[in-house]
Amino acid sequence: MIDRRGLLKTAAVAATGALAAPRLSLAAGSKTLRFIPQANLANLDPIWTTQYVVRNGSLLIWDMLYGVNEKLEPQPQMVEGHEASGDFKTWTFRLRPGLKFHDGEPVLARDAVASIDRWMARDATMGGVIKKRLDALEAVDDRTFRFRLSQPYPKMLFALGKSSTPTLFIMPERIAATDPFKQISEYVGSGPMRFKRDEWVPGAKAIFERFDGYVPRGEKADWLSGGKRIHFERIEWQIVPDGATASAALQNGEVDWWETPLPDLVPLLRQSPNVAVDISDPLGNIGSFRINHLYPPFNDVRARRAVQIAVSQEDYMGAVVGDDQSLWRTLPGFFTPDTPLYTEFGGEPLKGKRDYELAKKLLADSGYKNEPVVLLVATDVAITKAQGDVTADLLKRIGVNVQYQALDWGTVGQRRAKKDPPSEGGWNIFHTWHAGADCVNPAPYIALDCSGPTAWFGWPKSDLVQEKIAAWYDAPDLAAEKQAIKELNKAAMDHVVYVPTGFFKGYQAWRKNISGVVKAPFPVFWDVTKA
Amino acid sequence: MFAYIARRIASTIPVVLLVALFVFSLLYIAPGDPAAIIAGDQATPADVDRIRASLGLDRPFLVRFFDWFWHILQGDLGTSIFTNLPVTHMIAQRIEPTVSLMTLTLILSLTLAIPMGVIAAWKHGTWIDRAVMMVAVLGFSTPVFVIGYVLAYVFALRLDWLPVQGFTSISEGLIPFLRNLILPSVALGLVYMALIARITRATMLDVLSQDYIRTAKAKGVGQRGMLFVHALKNAAVPIVTIVGIGFAALIGGAVVTESVFAIPGLGRLTVDAILRRDYPVIQGVVLLFSFVYVLVNLGVDLLYTLFDPRIRY
Amino acid sequence: MSVTTPDFAAAPDLPAILPEAKQRGRILGFIYRHPTICVGGLLVGVMIFIAIFAPYLGTRDPTALAPSKRTREPSGLYWFGTDMLGRDVYSRVLYGSRVSLIVGFSVALFASVLGTFIGLVSGFIRGLDTVIMRAMDGLMSIPPILLAIALMALTRASVQNVIIAISIAEFPRVSRLVRGVVLSLREQPYVEAAIASGTRVPAIIWKHILPNTLAPLMVQATFICASAMITEATLSFIGAGTPPIIPSWGNIMAEGRALWQVKPFIVFFPAIFLSVTVLAVNLLGDGLRDALDPRLAKRL
Repeated sequence: MIDRRGLLKTAAVAATGALAAPRLSLAAGSKTLRFIPQANLANLDPIWTTQYVVRNGSLLIWDMLYGVNEKLEPQPQMVEGHEASGDFKTWTFRLRPGLKFHDGEPVLARDAVASIDRWMARDATMGGVIKKRLDALEAVDDRTFRFRLSQPYPKMLFALGKSSTPTLFIMPERIAATDPFKQISEYVGSGPMRFKRDEWVPGAKAIFERFDGYVPRGEKADWLSGGKRIHFERIEWQIVPDGATASAALQNGEVDWWETPLPDLVPLLRQSPNVAVDISDPLGNIGSFRINHLYPPFNDVRARRAVQIAVSQEDYMGAVVGDDQSLWRTLPGFFTPDTPLYTEFGGEPLKGKRDYELAKKLLADSGYKNEPVVLLVATDVAITKAQGDVTADLLKRIGVNVQYQALDWGTVGQRRAKKDPPSEGGWNIFHTWHAGADCVNPAPYIALDCSGPTAWFGWPKSDLVQEKIAAWYDAPDLAAEKQAIKELNKAAMDHVVYVPTGFFKGYQAWRKNISGVVKAPFPVFWDVTKA
Repeated sequence: MFAYIARRIASTIPVVLLVALFVFSLLYIAPGDPAAIIAGDQATPADVDRIRASLGLDRPFLVRFFDWFWHILQGDLGTSIFTNLPVTHMIAQRIEPTVSLMTLTLILSLTLAIPMGVIAAWKHGTWIDRAVMMVAVLGFSTPVFVIGYVLAYVFALRLDWLPVQGFTSISEGLIPFLRNLILPSVALGLVYMALIARITRATMLDVLSQDYIRTAKAKGVGQRGMLFVHALKNAAVPIVTIVGIGFAALIGGAVVTESVFAIPGLGRLTVDAILRRDYPVIQGVVLLFSFVYVLVNLGVDLLYTLFDPRIRY
Repeated sequence: MSVTTPDFAAAPDLPAILPEAKQRGRILGFIYRHPTICVGGLLVGVMIFIAIFAPYLGTRDPTALAPSKRTREPSGLYWFGTDMLGRDVYSRVLYGSRVSLIVGFSVALFASVLGTFIGLVSGFIRGLDTVIMRAMDGLMSIPPILLAIALMALTRASVQNVIIAISIAEFPRVSRLVRGVVLSLREQPYVEAAIASGTRVPAIIWKHILPNTLAPLMVQATFICASAMITEATLSFIGAGTPPIIPSWGNIMAEGRALWQVKPFIVFFPAIFLSVTVLAVNLLGDGLRDALDPRLAKRL
């Protein structure tokens, strides 16, 4: 069959002569990487939106002050060095020399200041906290800027280098001056690739071109830290929403790398002699059954417990990931497995046989009288669709009158922000997932925050949970941190902040002539080469 | 005749206006507030009001309609809610694949379907006739996406003759262009072929039974020559008509075909826009397709005068 | 578009599959004369039977999940296999016939009724004719699937909304057809006489117009039914149709499409059922047209 293809290609070249030649050489060449991302790149403002796919594209265009390595430790990236006062109230940073934006302008401290300002306005967990404690953020000279805080903030480097969205990217001051609630309209950064806006076809392709003015750090690259050396002249993102088409394209060599192959198609990809498949992110993801704590029946903890003890994580994971049991495990806790703070303390309600009768009784005790329960399901995202279908089935089994609302992910994004009653455009339940990298401790873990009105969608309120989170921040050593997380896990489980539906990993697949693909919570393009 | 043509062209203006009004109303009554969408998750009500005012969404219906229409006349279809790009720009980027797909489909369908219809009429009542007609009925009873997946499965995956997906511009060579486009064109063209083959056959039968053909036959014009020269010329009007009307099916089919074969054209833009409720884009695409459809049918009407000089208006 | 009246309804006939034969009893004779009606009718009948008696045909709950038994190949236990959530494809396909038939028949009915009404009004009230027909031209110049898609984008997914959206996309063609019949009948001497003698309009419609409209209308309705089924499946397939929680053929295919390389049966079975049903309805329409009005086939 390869012969026939070869023959056809020869025929093609012969028939069309010089006209066809450039394209074939381009496609076959090692200068272009063709990549299928997890989702469409509909906009490119990593502060305005928290979508992972936008963050991933932005990692190519914009550089960061700090970047995390494999151990999620922030390492200096654009920064040459920093100085923190003993009380952690004054933080001074100095930029590396020679940094340039794609338009040729040097990167200055005031660009960093403007970018931090915009980011702080939108980042609720860490940026927001800094903003509250901020006395002043100013550029000292062209390469130096300084935070002066009213209260100490020891986790400053984690905040500036966090990979969870919104991520702090450094943009030119004129772009960073954009209203944080409006999208930016210019995509100029100082990252290793520049965005080819004229070739951008939203919903179809996004093109990045190597930026020759980029000066990588000397260290070896490690996730978002170290020298970001790009070995391609172009990286073409091809948007292929249909998994079957994407899989066929990879098998046929029409693309080089597919970020999120469907687990069901992996056996097929493995049979293909030219395709390699591996786990994409060792930190995986945590599936989420998100509950609105403001309205009946789930404003009563008994009703929340009813669904908690009815949730069968095996069912959810089977539906989300499939038959490949190496990809998932049950998760009687809120934190990422195989990380230092992981605990199952207090996770009993999620273990063992599911008790539908007890669930019905708890529901009745909570005063539930067959009111419709609004379940928002994003049907265009496989993970949310599968979870939604399982939940609809589960609710039916415990006698809940479920109203399944099929929407797209964008609409769910808007609807979940509404605090109105479920009968007036609000909601009771929706599904999502959290990257394991964002669930290693409470700092980036927006979903666990129980501050009520300012908490993440669902607005859980529990003083006990907040107390335990504070205990972790104050913990002097790892042992104390572990103890705090143990108690936090139990408190959050008892309060049913949300119900984890399991821990799962995803695959990535690439052509075997590609080397250097690493496992990470985001695609890492540096140091990847093509033979 | 020029008066007729002028009248005919003028008569499309109210139609286009009506379509525009209709399409605009779609956006007007659309649920979901574009301002809220643009503002994002964490915006305050004041932010939303500010954006609403800046977009002019707080003005009355007719004011907004005429304002919108005035912009369209200047080639401005608004801005996509999701990508923040001008809709005209997004459409322009995606016109080439769709035009290529439709053109190839048209060529394929016409060159295959007309001979099919003629042969079926010629061999009226034989198994050939029945076979052609069965294929035709099957053609418009099977959804485009089913045909698309079957073709992709056989010719791209099993036989490995053609690529599964994507689009190559004709500027990069005719063969790569055709290789990418042939499967989608066949999938899309089947419905169209079925329509044209049926109409061709029927009108041919009709024409063949008419007096002047019998006269020609009596005069001894050779069978083949008679069929093609006399009959086909007289069958041209209904065939052209169905080509015009069938264009709607072609547009509808393109929406699905482009999704199946990952062709970055207007059809996929439409589907994406629908799923994201990106109303300005939906508006723009529907308006454009409708406008093209009106133009095609205008062209068809004007062609009548060419094919059949007997027609006087 | 002033000249674009011909349509699917006026599309040419299928060949008589069986040759003329001597009448052997009335039923056999009917089968011989109208084979397509019989084949089409029979198949449609089977589908209606399946839709009504779906619960008794060896099915289980078509929405019951069993993730531990997902993507099973067809077997004695799961005749058409199971989908990615472990639901029984056979049961889903059988229940799915309900959606297709309900949508097909409802759209045919609504589009016919609405189209007839508008067509009558337009044909009888001269003053409104131009306005209405221009509006119909406007609606008809939006390709039906696109119009249905745009309408679905405005509303929440539900079977009712799918029916309404497709009906709106289809009815202008009916109104054109009916108006054409009215205009041609008005010139007939007996209708003119009736009008001259002061017969009231409703009576004229009832006595002269409707009976003559019925034949082409039935044919048109059949084709609308077929096209509505395809449109429903297409809408569901691209995610803008019947709510995904309801098993419809389009939904089953949409959910199975990602796996068509490895589990083709999930897409294959609903596709076969859909194609056969649409084919049956089209055959029925072809046959009806030939039987009810042989001239129609030639009237292009």
